[in-house]
Amino acid sequence: MAEVEETLKRIQTHEGVIGTIVVNAEGIPIRTTLDNSTTVQYAGLLHQLTMKARSTVRDIDPQNDLTFLRIRSKKHEIMVAPDKEYMLIVIQNPSE
Amino acid sequence: LFNTLAAVRVKLNTMLLYSRSSRAMNISTSGILRLNRSATYARSINASVSRKSFCLAADSKILEKSSVQTPKHTIQVLDENGKDVTPRPVYQPDPAAVQSKHSKIFASDTSGGTMSDFYSTTYQTTTNASFAGAFTRSLFGSGSVSIGSQSIMESMSEEIEDPSSKRDNSISLSDVQVKREEVKELIQEEMLDDMVDLYLVESDTLCLLDMPAISVSVDSMEAESVKERNSRYTELCKNRTGNDKYMGRSMQTFNGASKTKEVQSEAITMADAATIANNWDMYDSFCSAGQGEVDLSTDTDKASIAEMIHQNHGPTRTMERTMSVISSSTIVSSSSSRMEMEPFVVPSESKPDPELILQSEEFQQHLFVMERIILENIYQPKLAAYRQLPTLEGMVLLEESSLDEEGPPTPALERLWSFSCELTTGRNVSSMAWNKRNPDLLAVGYGQFAFKDQKPGLVCCWSLKNPSWPERIFTCQSGVTALDFSASSASMLAVGMHDGTIATYNVQSREKTPVIDSSDCVHKHTSPVWQVRWINHERALSGEDKGEALISVSADGRISKWFLRKDLMKLKRTRNDRFKRQVGEKERKSEALISRQAPGLCFDFHPTDSNIYLAGTEEGHIHKCSCSYNEQFLETYQAHKGPLYRITWSPFCSDVFLSCSSDWTIQLWRQDLFTPVLGFMSTQRAVYDVMWSPKWATVFGAVNEGRMEIWDLGASILDPTIVNPASPGVKLTSLLFATETDCVLVGDSDGQVSVYQLKNFTAGEGTQVGTLEDIIGSTLASQL
Repeated sequence: MAEVEETLKRIQTHEGVIGTIVVNAEGIPIRTTLDNSTTVQYAGLLHQLTMKARSTVRDIDPQNDLTFLRIRSKKHEIMVAPDKEYMLIVIQNPSE
Repeated sequence: LFNTLAAVRVKLNTMLLYSRSSRAMNISTSGILRLNRSATYARSINASVSRKSFCLAADSKILEKSSVQTPKHTIQVLDENGKDVTPRPVYQPDPAAVQSKHSKIFASDTSGGTMSDFYSTTYQTTTNASFAGAFTRSLFGSGSVSIGSQSIMESMSEEIEDPSSKRDNSISLSDVQVKREEVKELIQEEMLDDMVDLYLVESDTLCLLDMPAISVSVDSMEAESVKERNSRYTELCKNRTGNDKYMGRSMQTFNGASKTKEVQSEAITMADAATIANNWDMYDSFCSAGQGEVDLSTDTDKASIAEMIHQNHGPTRTMERTMSVISSSTIVSSSSSRMEMEPFVVPSESKPDPELILQSEEFQQHLFVMERIILENIYQPKLAAYRQLPTLEGMVLLEESSLDEEGPPTPALERLWSFSCELTTGRNVSSMAWNKRNPDLLAVGYGQFAFKDQKPGLVCCWSLKNPSWPERIFTCQSGVTALDFSASSASMLAVGMHDGTIATYNVQSREKTPVIDSSDCVHKHTSPVWQVRWINHERALSGEDKGEALISVSADGRISKWFLRKDLMKLKRTRNDRFKRQVGEKERKSEALISRQAPGLCFDFHPTDSNIYLAGTEEGHIHKCSCSYNEQFLETYQAHKGPLYRITWSPFCSDVFLSCSSDWTIQLWRQDLFTPVLGFMSTQRAVYDVMWSPKWATVFGAVNEGRMEIWDLGASILDPTIVNPASPGVKLTSLLFATETDCVLVGDSDGQVSVYQLKNFTAGEGTQVGTLEDIIGSTLASQL
């Protein structure tokens, strides 16, 4: 348990990381470093996108499944690790 | 076609139509039904004969549902002349056909039916063998058939035959039905790709309906006879006026009183439902249904089946989807009806505790991957440079821009990154080793060299993908002084420590404790272990020696060979070597020879001959030894005036080796010469580490207290080609070349392992060996 906390703390302190969010399957934040409204917004929008992405991947090959989703935009990069019970979201500003 | 159906003699065993009796099971053998002409007879069936007699071999057959075996019964139709005009069947049954069972239709109750209906349906099918059911089935399906005719069919079907008919020709509905099903299944099993030939043949003309005309055309040939008959009839009627038999009369039937009835029912509520079945949705349903079927055979508990099916549903599934699951599973499993009866409950999944989520394995794995991805974002240019890939900058690939520079570019070192974290700051890097199988994994040992201020040692396994935090951290009880990864089992790491203990760790597991420790051994080292190495002896002296063994040298003067015995969980020492102190010949003759063992500091095995190895001592001697001789050295090379810190054979020239010591020099030796071929001195600092480059034969790196040097003998034998000074206050302690790339790792006394890339280093390849030998040769020649 302590290791998990340590890893989360380390992730947050890496260069360029803006925020880290862990939400459960219903969208309730478990751990977050951003304010609540932003967290809820990110969680809701990314949840839908993840569902769509997973549906796409599995439609092409039902034995496949989505493991990771990265969205790179002009300002930051959003990285989502989806799972059945939770979702891990990290927003980072890449060094370049 | 015959025009009239004058009389039909039918032998029925059970109810006679006009008698309307109850279903009498007794059979009259010669019940002949005489039918009068009537308009309804117009629907006659068969051809050519005016009258038909319909003989049913009557026997004591009973209409029973349960009777499986129907006696053979044939229906023969004879006209008034006794000619057999039984209609031939359109469908010829297989003589080996299964005995017919009474179909349900036949079991139906008899009720009054008209003969006309009977004729309309039965005569098409009656033949010698009674197939009462055979074609009526098709007719039943197609048209409206009264129940009466059905009953007649069944009654007919039970007929017992006349002696001539075959026994097994009777076919009933169910029989045909069964037959058809069998045929169907056969087809399914066969290859559907077969070419099937279909022959279209014109069958005999069947007459199904014949309605003879009542009126005749004036021009026809029969007109005369018809007219005459008509006139005769009118004559007859005139003659018989008053006779009741010849008078037209009208009848009136009773009409039952009618009554209206009303029924009211609840309104049928309709609800629209829709669902989308994705490709993966169907796949999931199929997989979960398949699981359900497997368990059905073992577990007959209804509840568990329903539960299992429901467990496979995600929370987003709706009722309709569960329906689709069940309906698909009905195809799969045989007891589908059981499943359909299960109450459909939307599964209420257990909401996992947030804390449980955080502790789950998958979460940790995701965190791990996420961290690496974040770091990849940060370190991408550096890692790309390490792996010699073009770097991305703002999504634009940067080509190597060294071509723009003017003049030959000077070789330089570029610092990429450094492995360090808060755990390692302040510790002295004592040794580094690459993993033999995974070239991205680096083990670094932290421990003080000096005797004073010893603190517990640390071994960290770093991965290139995460320069900020090591993958594995092992704390040892004393400072780590030597490290090596095994080649045969790539996850074994041998660690030599300052107190003489040797421990092996398994880096694959997450355990913090060593696999094997030598502290229990009797003959363990008593002084710091300065070097450990896994050596693979191909040519073994005895059966025991085969395989990989761990060799260690320690300050107590022994080189020991250790075996790991899995069953004993103990290191077993098999052989040792002792260093004999070479007493200076001239000065100390007067004193007694004290044979003491000189501390050994380093050793290196010959790259090709694993029997020969070199060992360096604290006194500055290099001894060439062999594994077969325990007591004697083969050769001794004396040149250094201080403790030797490193000896290393050249990976390209098998005769050449380098040695570095604290007397500020690096010496290049050739095996057969007892004086060094070349000596290198750049600063007045002790050289702690030297290593040949794995890529270029003339290049080696050395690290002394104040700086790191790269020597290229092809360029200059007097000065190092690249010099990189250390940060002030920090001493550089160890050096390691990367195998695949042009990078050098330097460890310092502050706990940092810096990665440098050699840029513009065009030492060339291929002819390196020749160059080195040329240099040596020329040097020797010049010395003469």
